[in-house]
Amino acid sequence: MMDFIGFTKRNLIIYFKDVLAIFFSLLTSIIIFILYLLFLKGTFVDALNGTLNGLENFVSGADIDMLANGILLTGILGTAMITVPYTCLQTIVKDRESGVDSDICATPLKRWKIVLSYFTASTLSSFIMTSLILTVGLVVLNFMGDLHLSVQSLIAAYGMMFLGSASSTALFMLVMLFFKSSSTSTAFFGILSAAAGFVIGAYIPLSQFSEGVQGFCNLFPASHITSLIRNILLSGIANNIDSSIGGVDNGAFISAVKDTFSFNAHAFGTDFSGMNSVLYVGIFALICIAAMMVVYSKTYKK
Amino acid sequence: MKVIEVKDLTKKYKEHTAVNGISFDVEEGEMFAFLGENGAGKSTTINMLTTILGKTSGSAFICGHELGKEDDEIRKVNGIVFQNSVLDKKLSVKDNLLTRGSYYGLSRKQVLARLEPFSERFEMKDIWDRKYEKLSGGQRRRVDIMRALINNPKILFLDEPTTGLDPKSRKIVWDYINYLRKEHKMTIFLTTHYMEETRDADHVVILDKGNIISTGTPAELKTRYAHSRLVWYTEKGESAESLIQIISDKYVYDADHYSIETDRNLTEFIFEHREEIRDYEFVKGTMDDVFLNLTGKELAS
Ligand SMILES: Nc1ncnc2c1ncn2[C@@H]1O[C@H](COP(=O)(O)OP(=O)(O)O)[C@@H](O)[C@H]1O
Ligand SMILES: [Mg+2]
Repeated sequence: MMDFIGFTKRNLIIYFKDVLAIFFSLLTSIIIFILYLLFLKGTFVDALNGTLNGLENFVSGADIDMLANGILLTGILGTAMITVPYTCLQTIVKDRESGVDSDICATPLKRWKIVLSYFTASTLSSFIMTSLILTVGLVVLNFMGDLHLSVQSLIAAYGMMFLGSASSTALFMLVMLFFKSSSTSTAFFGILSAAAGFVIGAYIPLSQFSEGVQGFCNLFPASHITSLIRNILLSGIANNIDSSIGGVDNGAFISAVKDTFSFNAHAFGTDFSGMNSVLYVGIFALICIAAMMVVYSKTYKK
Repeated sequence: MKVIEVKDLTKKYKEHTAVNGISFDVEEGEMFAFLGENGAGKSTTINMLTTILGKTSGSAFICGHELGKEDDEIRKVNGIVFQNSVLDKKLSVKDNLLTRGSYYGLSRKQVLARLEPFSERFEMKDIWDRKYEKLSGGQRRRVDIMRALINNPKILFLDEPTTGLDPKSRKIVWDYINYLRKEHKMTIFLTTHYMEETRDADHVVILDKGNIISTGTPAELKTRYAHSRLVWYTEKGESAESLIQIISDKYVYDADHYSIETDRNLTEFIFEHREEIRDYEFVKGTMDDVFLNLTGKELAS
């Protein structure tokens, strides 16, 4: 066990001691935040006001602001869940390139432990970073207003950080197999960090895209997790708004908000319930992990 | 006792045979040198013996453990200094060594206790908290060797430990190797492409294109493949040459001297002809000559 913990610790400090790596792994999230300050907030608020038609008197601007801010937070979390694990897992490619893996393979550390340790370290790094963002985000939002968040929702939100980190890591473990050099994996990261914000709907809600595009985006666990976390974090305030409307609209406003901002993942003509999204992500991760254990044990036995 | 026994060890990469059925033994406590140019198959051999690379065929036993069957046992008794550095550049020397120790199941305390006897000799104190990437080439090698000692290995493998170092660092690294060999009775398995580095080895294996082309002690190899020369500073001339032909017909004239290849004891001959042969010297055969004679190639230095 000591060997596994030791190697996992090494993989963790490789990421956390590299300030530049941390910065780049969060760059997309930072860009989303800046764009939000510049103009994204406006488009979110416009979209929300658009669903109000005639209910303006029932819903305060402050509540709409809170919703928009919450949507921003989930977008930041969804992208970090892609870019942080990817950055951590690049260690695999770098280790292979620099021969560090030879050094590891010359020790009695079991091959499956090597693979599992990369996996664990990346999942943990991503969980730590996303939980940190979530915590800071919630504290800030709490100063701005009331999210009407229950303790259960709070726990579920952190649970989603974990599920999202683990599932993204599982997927990227397989992706890393294709890279022979860190220059290619870095190049791919450029594409990935540009695409991540779109795939999870951080810039433009996924509901605005065609069925095909939505289906594709929801292949990725991070998109489901983004929907789930929106549902968990923002249902409270949305329901609160709904009750302040008092049923005049027969719940039209809340369902329009949930549709527009994909509170439930939508793919292949159906809405995923929260449970189904969790199942999808879970099964997706398990398949990737199984594949990873098979393939990797071969790559470390040259 | 034999600590390494290798028989018909072969490594093939698709069509290319990197190591071609080599056999040799290494005795406990000896310094065993693998000599060959770039691409001869030195690293490939070390990587197979340290379980990093799978063999294509043949067999090897390390401290009695069979390669391919008892790899974990082998990993416990091996220490390796790689040709290229394999430590984490962004981590401190301390973090590097402690994490590496943990791969062997060693706690922080155990690692520190393990390295204690070497720390002073290896001057670890002043670089202990520095980042690996900030160290000089010689300092890095020092840490690399410490890394290899962490699991108390029976055999220390060093793959071209001095390649790319400046002469001063090279000498320091050699001091460390000799210290480990003499003070700690460690078995040393070393590869190099510097001829002179095999001078002190107990055993030398010369590798060329994956094949062992010769093996023996440095003295044996020199007797077999390198010839001593008599260098006679004189003018080129018929009478000189007829005198030379008494002892050898292998000679050349170069600038201001004859270089005469011979293994005969020439003391008497020179005494007899002391009137003619006044300015001379003996040049003993070197390991460079051995390599040159065996492969027809000169090693880079
Ligand atoms: N992964 C590989 N695939 C194909 N050929 C390789 C590989 N690694 C080494 N070789 C070849 O095997 C031969 C021996 O290489 P190596 O053991 O590194 O030599 P040395 O360490 O003596 O310089 C070289 O010709 C090299 O090109
Ligand atoms: Mg080599």
